[in-house]
Amino acid sequence: MSADGYRPSAEVVKRLRALNERRLSREEVEAALRTPISDSEREEILALVAWFRRRYPTPLDRLAYVRRAYRRWQSALELTDQRPEEG
Amino acid sequence: MEVSEFDEIEFFRAVHESGARALLIGRRALVILGLPVLTADYDFWIHIDDAAAFNRAAEPFGLVPTRAPEEARRRGRYALENLEKVDVLVARVVPTVDGVDVSFQDVWTRRGGLDLAPGVRVELPTLDDLILTKRFAARPKDLEDIRLLEVLRSAEAKDRGER
Repeated sequence: MSADGYRPSAEVVKRLRALNERRLSREEVEAALRTPISDSEREEILALVAWFRRRYPTPLDRLAYVRRAYRRWQSALELTDQRPEEG
Repeated sequence: MEVSEFDEIEFFRAVHESGARALLIGRRALVILGLPVLTADYDFWIHIDDAAAFNRAAEPFGLVPTRAPEEARRRGRYALENLEKVDVLVARVVPTVDGVDVSFQDVWTRRGGLDLAPGVRVELPTLDDLILTKRFAARPKDLEDIRLLEVLRSAEAKDRGER
């Protein structure tokens, strides 16, 4: 559910998941890999990594954080069949 | 040993102690490296001969294989499921979507181990190889993960004084 109270329907969620889980073509992948990473994107990622490593200094801390975050995400959804697929 | 609630560290310990050649791939590997990404499952790439040992390690955690080892080897993948889900690649070679054949043996040889706790070691591909594994399934989120990993790789290269 978003901050404004909007909750997508199960059908919308299903379609979004299908889009996110589809296998991309070779051409799509090659095009994406050719897209340069901008300085601002790089800085944002490195800042995120720095925060995460500082806040959760050990691999165990990080794994535990992600398990908690996933449980929170799942609770917020209140739809048990909307687990993200993994890869 | 029976484990009523999934104990992640004990699961990794059991995998380590099983002797199965098992590489942690997927988003859980990214998390260990310091990338905060959300994930539900565990992903491993194991040696083609080690499915039975891997399954035995997972059994006390209530994880049941979706395929017998022989069938899993034929298909190249299976899962272990219960309250948790563990996706397992069990192939000697996996092609990327853009035509690179990636060999388990090569990735295993280059791997880096990491101690989660005393006596609990998890085996991870190198950053280069982890990026390659993200080109197996080649979903939109895999491409996002590749960008995260590439930034991490370039930062680490910079730290080592490389260009």
